[in-house]
Amino acid sequence: MHGMTSYFIRRILLVPVTFICITFLVYAVIRQAPGGPIEQAKLQMQAAASEGGGGGGGGMGDTGSLELPQDAIDELKKYYKLDKPTPIGYLIWLGLWPDDTNHDKFSGIVQGNFGISYRHSDPVLSTIVSKFPISIYFGLIAYFASWLICVPLGIQKALRHRSHFDTGTSLVVFVGYSIPGFVAALIMMLLFATSLIGPAWEIFPLGGFRSDNWDDMWAQGEIWWCVKDQVEHTVIPVIAYVMGSFATMTILMKNSLLDNLGSDYVRTAFAKGLPERRVVFIHALRNSMIPLCVNIGQAIGLILAGSFLIEKTCNIPGMGLLGFDSLIGRDYPVIMGILVFGVVIRLTGNIISDMILAVVDPRVRFR
Amino acid sequence: MSDVSETGAAQAGGTDRKKLLEVKNLRTYFDVEGKTAKAVDGVSFHVFANEVFGIVGESGSGKSVTSLSIMRLIPDPPGRIEGGEIWFNGTNLLDMSYAEMRKIRGNEISMIFQEPMTALNPVFTIGFQLKEAIRHHRKGLTKAEVTDRAEEMLTLVGIPDARRRLKNYPHEFSGGMRQRAMIAMALALEPRLLIADEPTTALDVTIQAQILELMLSVREKTGDASILLITHDLAVVAETCDRVAVMYGGKVQEISDVKRLFAEPLHPYTQGLLTSLPRPDKERRKRLQTIPGIVPSIMNMPPGCKFAERCPLRESRCDTIEPELVEVRPDRFARCHLVEPEGVADAQEAQA
Repeated sequence: MHGMTSYFIRRILLVPVTFICITFLVYAVIRQAPGGPIEQAKLQMQAAASEGGGGGGGGMGDTGSLELPQDAIDELKKYYKLDKPTPIGYLIWLGLWPDDTNHDKFSGIVQGNFGISYRHSDPVLSTIVSKFPISIYFGLIAYFASWLICVPLGIQKALRHRSHFDTGTSLVVFVGYSIPGFVAALIMMLLFATSLIGPAWEIFPLGGFRSDNWDDMWAQGEIWWCVKDQVEHTVIPVIAYVMGSFATMTILMKNSLLDNLGSDYVRTAFAKGLPERRVVFIHALRNSMIPLCVNIGQAIGLILAGSFLIEKTCNIPGMGLLGFDSLIGRDYPVIMGILVFGVVIRLTGNIISDMILAVVDPRVRFR
Repeated sequence: MSDVSETGAAQAGGTDRKKLLEVKNLRTYFDVEGKTAKAVDGVSFHVFANEVFGIVGESGSGKSVTSLSIMRLIPDPPGRIEGGEIWFNGTNLLDMSYAEMRKIRGNEISMIFQEPMTALNPVFTIGFQLKEAIRHHRKGLTKAEVTDRAEEMLTLVGIPDARRRLKNYPHEFSGGMRQRAMIAMALALEPRLLIADEPTTALDVTIQAQILELMLSVREKTGDASILLITHDLAVVAETCDRVAVMYGGKVQEISDVKRLFAEPLHPYTQGLLTSLPRPDKERRKRLQTIPGIVPSIMNMPPGCKFAERCPLRESRCDTIEPELVEVRPDRFARCHLVEPEGVADAQEAQA
């Protein structure tokens, strides 16, 4: 046990190192990428000017007069820390270098200051934190749903290997596997959220996290209405999420159990006179769960961060959608902020994965 | 059952030793790619109470399938017990319900397997696996009594510091220790029959003898079970068995007591096996003899004698007519056209 503890302590100590490497790399790349805040400001300036000028001058001819003044550019560069070398800018962002635009204070990630969104002028941290519960809500429900569906289904498929049930469900599994989650969401919305196949089938809302008047209804004490509304908004995205992991998890469960059912120790367990239930559900199942548990760490990333494609199609204002919109809008502080959460979640997720693995498989000993 | 039991009594040579296990005309087939592989095809033998009975044969001779058939552990599909009877202590195991069979397994008949590395579940402790069988078959015992019994058994098989060792996982045991734990597990409930399927094959040569000896001595201390020992190793047979059946091509070719088998092998296959054994007592250092050819494919067995293709004494009738297993000496049986019965009143057929 001693070796294991020190292994995990070392793993945890490596988290900040990995964190700095990843975030610095992304910070440096983003600064170099075209379409940054200065160019955006120039474009906005031009757009504003061409609107104001009424189009008389013929646009391109007199761009010279529409240029941002040099001192404004310098001001912007200073504001966005583009006047400093990349490492200094990074250290300021991290909070390990005094920020000359902010009274030479150390104010960055370390101090909990994630900066201000370029687009909305809101603090990044509160923006992200406000989106988190929405993604976690869908992520957790989808994750538990996929375990509740895939594990029993995989077990049944293994126990009834090559039966009609097995073949039939395999068909469903592979059809599900070949349809991306967001496409499935679109199809489901088309079928069950519009009157395409008749008004009676318009069961679910067309995306969104809740109805707009949800908070009012909640305040009025209409709890049942609120629950129903929430459930209705949940069904389609959760199915779309589950479809993403449905095939891999089910087949992994089936194959893993099938392997273990053919193993020598299962024969030993039968030879001891144990009933089949005990052999399958205690002896074989425990071993079969090992590969599934390895995935937990990776799954944490998806649970917390959400899938931006599904959030986009279902119009769910979660982390995925925020990240997507920020990327399109070059909202660097938000992108970096999401990256910080993403990196920390994934790194700890991997460690948690290893810890779970060490618990379920006594042969695994990390050193 | 009637006429075979009478021959059985005759086999025992007047001393009416109790037959614990009697396998009659057992046929276990496997369906492989649309064909039928007759892994075990008409095997008959019996094991007396308190004796060590060996089944010796090459891989593919059907010896392991025979042992798994007795436990009814043949994976189905692709395998199935096509016919025959397995009488254990007065009941036919093949007529038993699944639930009844479970009460026999591990309790009255237990089994040790070849691979101690994989035969134990890697994610449960030795203690858990040892105790669960005891607990399952002895519902009346308290938790403490079960643990005491497990510890006692582990001590008996020579594992020191047993109480602490119960908490170990299989990977914390060496191969020999795992096989010791398997023996402890198999004998914990004092079964009447212990089936040992190549129990020493996967172990280092240096500890093979230890494990065999241990199996015999622990069995003496725990109710004197009969042992059905499956092996490909004639040396192991010579050391441990009272009687032995030689199997080839899914059939028993010869049954004899060990002493007379080694002194005067009757079947040409047995003769071949013995001449391919190294003998330190031989005067000249000769090259070891081998049996020419290979074992016939289980999918495509010859219609006549299964050994004919490789037999030095082969005659034309051997290719077409399969010989019966007959008593050719008092209490000795062979399946060969060329072995003339001697000293047997009437050439009885062992098979019904």
